Amino acid sequence: MFGLFKRGNSSKEESKRPLYKDLKKNTEEVKKLFSHGVNSDFVYRKVTSNTNKEVSIFFYASIVNSQKIYDGIIKPLFESEKENLRSVIILEDLAESYDFDQVESDINSGKAVIFEENSDRAYAVDVAEFQHRAVEKPENESVVKGPQEAFTESVSVNLSLIRKKIHDKQLIAETVEIGERAKQAVTVMYVSDLVNQDTLKNVRERLNSISVDNVRNIEILEQHIEERPYSIIPTLLYTERSDRAASFLEEGFIVLMMNNSSACLILPVTFWSFFHTPEDRYLRFLFGNFSRIIRFLALIITLFISAVYVAITNYHSEMIPPDLLLAITSARERVPFPGVFEVLLMEISFELIREAGLRIPNPLGPTIGIVGALILGQAAVEANIVSPIIVIIVALSGLSSFAMANISLNYTIRITRFIFIMAASFFGMFSLMGAFLLWLMYLASLKSFGTPFLAPLSPRYPSARDTIFRKTAIKEMLRPGFVKPQDMKKK
Amino acid sequence: MRPVFFFLAVGLLFLLSGCYDRIELEEQSYVIGIGIDKADNDEKGLFKITFQIANPEVGSSISSGGSDEDPQQTITVEGSDFITATNTANSIVTKEIVLDHTKVLVISEELARSGDFLRVVQSASRTTQLRRGVQIVVSREDASDFLNNNKPTLETRPHKYYQFMLNRATETGIIPDADVHRFFQITEGDADLFLAIYATTEKIEEKSQGYEDQYIAGQIPQIGSNATQFMGSAVFKEGKMIDVLTGQETRLCLIFDNTIDMDDLLATYPDPIKKGYRIAASFIKKEKTKVDIDYKKNQPSKITVTVPFSLEILAIPSLVDYAENSENQKILRKTITDDINKRAEQLVKKAQQEYRSDPFYWSIYVRKYFRTIKEYEKADWNHDIFPNADVKLDFQLTQIEFGKMLNDSDLDAVRD
Repeated sequence: MFGLFKRGNSSKEESKRPLYKDLKKNTEEVKKLFSHGVNSDFVYRKVTSNTNKEVSIFFYASIVNSQKIYDGIIKPLFESEKENLRSVIILEDLAESYDFDQVESDINSGKAVIFEENSDRAYAVDVAEFQHRAVEKPENESVVKGPQEAFTESVSVNLSLIRKKIHDKQLIAETVEIGERAKQAVTVMYVSDLVNQDTLKNVRERLNSISVDNVRNIEILEQHIEERPYSIIPTLLYTERSDRAASFLEEGFIVLMMNNSSACLILPVTFWSFFHTPEDRYLRFLFGNFSRIIRFLALIITLFISAVYVAITNYHSEMIPPDLLLAITSARERVPFPGVFEVLLMEISFELIREAGLRIPNPLGPTIGIVGALILGQAAVEANIVSPIIVIIVALSGLSSFAMANISLNYTIRITRFIFIMAASFFGMFSLMGAFLLWLMYLASLKSFGTPFLAPLSPRYPSARDTIFRKTAIKEMLRPGFVKPQDMKKK
Repeated sequence: MRPVFFFLAVGLLFLLSGCYDRIELEEQSYVIGIGIDKADNDEKGLFKITFQIANPEVGSSISSGGSDEDPQQTITVEGSDFITATNTANSIVTKEIVLDHTKVLVISEELARSGDFLRVVQSASRTTQLRRGVQIVVSREDASDFLNNNKPTLETRPHKYYQFMLNRATETGIIPDADVHRFFQITEGDADLFLAIYATTEKIEEKSQGYEDQYIAGQIPQIGSNATQFMGSAVFKEGKMIDVLTGQETRLCLIFDNTIDMDDLLATYPDPIKKGYRIAASFIKKEKTKVDIDYKKNQPSKITVTVPFSLEILAIPSLVDYAENSENQKILRKTITDDINKRAEQLVKKAQQEYRSDPFYWSIYVRKYFRTIKEYEKADWNHDIFPNADVKLDFQLTQIEFGKMLNDSDLDAVRD
């Protein structure tokens, strides 16, 4: 019964089927392969050329540029005096294929395949035009000061966005094919005289070792190539900003892109890559660092405020100043639940609002605001379900969590917050600090493609020391040493 | 480890650990003041313990009920110490009584003078509940009466009242900073005298001629408002109260003592030229008092105390020109310095002869002469060194300021 789950390796092993010498046979075979007649957008066109030669042209109407086919293939065939198809077709990319598998993949990737009489080779002309969005503004990583070009769901557009920023012949866009049934191309980008070759080899190996039918986009690819799928910490950076990808490339990082994702993956990463935003660099030294302080504060608040509240009110009432103590006490006198439950109740309601707010159709959007504000704010307090200070605490921790712009880190922080609240409810500050230490130790022990997660803070590496704070642009002379780039110096 | 086991382990952690000493805020009663009196029947080892408990519902903006309740609840029970008495008090008070937020420890003068205070306060050093920063207040009347009679009109919530009252009075120096920690430090050190805050809610006969700080609590003429007065200090020698110092004497003690800070010392001094008037000035001490002890074995030691200070003149009701007339100024400088010197000398003399120890914490300056604690104890600061020492006081007026306007109104020109 295990055979049921076994992947069909047999087709792969089979030797390639060569093309026939006969045009008719070839045409029939391709028609059969692509279910011509049933498949409505599969086009077969028979053309008799100027020199009285018969050719068959195959393509998917939905993924090619029909104007290009007319101008570049059909028109020259009717007009040209030349015999050789290579001389007749003047489009930039003309490849030859000798077997049906190649023909199949050519047609699937938006090429027009041409068969001629008495020949066992086919010509594949690249006339692909897949539909995609235009270059738009980044929606999830917006900045006030800085470029506003986001990636879109087309690798060629994305490549163009990056090449526009890095004029370097060493910038390589290598393609690795993954997937066994429907192959997809992953574009691996790097600057070849900066990137660490071991990391690059590692990435290639991991991409090649993926054995699934289909990997549609990088969001799924991320889960296939990460080291620890169960970990609470992400080990690949997901960004939709082309400028961010470019800046990482120039430091010796590797960028992965796929056709169906309007974002890229960057590796290896450290905690700091999640913590930083591109705007930190675009703002002046002082302003950028100010916004980093605020963000770090937000990180601390969102991780700890609820947990510390639980710990202090349940175990260390002597730590609260008397005024606040009496205020909380008087508010809590009419609340029927224990403190931990109260906090969890509000935290979960906040998560509910967040989740519902994401999923709700746009026209209904404002409902969330009204219902959320009413439930979480006034009504819950007035009904004596929660005390007012809880609303402040949960609102503060929720608000601060939004300062962690990166979606992966955002989830990490939110889940950690619940762990900390639970920990605090056991033995107060004692167990909270225990949980925090364990969490920190786990963070320090992690590696992303060989790079320690907290580097260059711990362990220390030569680098521009771009951690919580950054230096002025002039003083940043080193590339991050933890990536082990081939060239450390920036100037 | 398989995830199932992991979650099982975490789940068990919840159940097994329970909630050890978890307690919700509203399940506790917060004591703000503790009062200790001798028991009525004079039985040894039994005391009347009073707890003043804050009512959280008063003064809170969210409370709907409870606004017409008293801001505090004061109850008195008998017990041998104030920790076990919390359990006895639970027969009356509904919630667990915690002493974490206690601000004052009030003891009656009667108990303080009997010497039993040292016994009952022992539990303060043993328990983690009572903070070391709790201020010790000696009340002229019974502590229970003090706590019951004290009805502040503005800060009705007791913790706020004690916080502000004690802070400000300590800043002006009319009462000392007298926390439990200092009490144990001095008492165990077996040298020096401990000064506790002296207060009362009862009027005693008013002192007819007293200036701003020459009172003890209860003597200050006052009309209106809450009758509670904090003024002066109770002197403790070896854990037993022996005397009361006036506000002025307390201030002098604080000037001599570098371990306590004092910020704001406004006082008046006799006008040297027009007798009967007084000059108001702010006494500013920016530098530390220099205490130099020249210890000699079997001979009177020499203690030289230098107090550098400056004055800011605030009012000259006699309208004599001190600001610009250097002759007059010279006289003024001398009078003020002499005046302070004289009072200080009286106090030191009183300490040497009457108390036979010092309330200035000067013993720390003699300790450097001894290599071991035994040697130091043998030299005996309280009985030998200090009472027989030759104390020289030197108040140095370094600077005198006359405020922003040098000239007072010319009385003749005004009244022509």
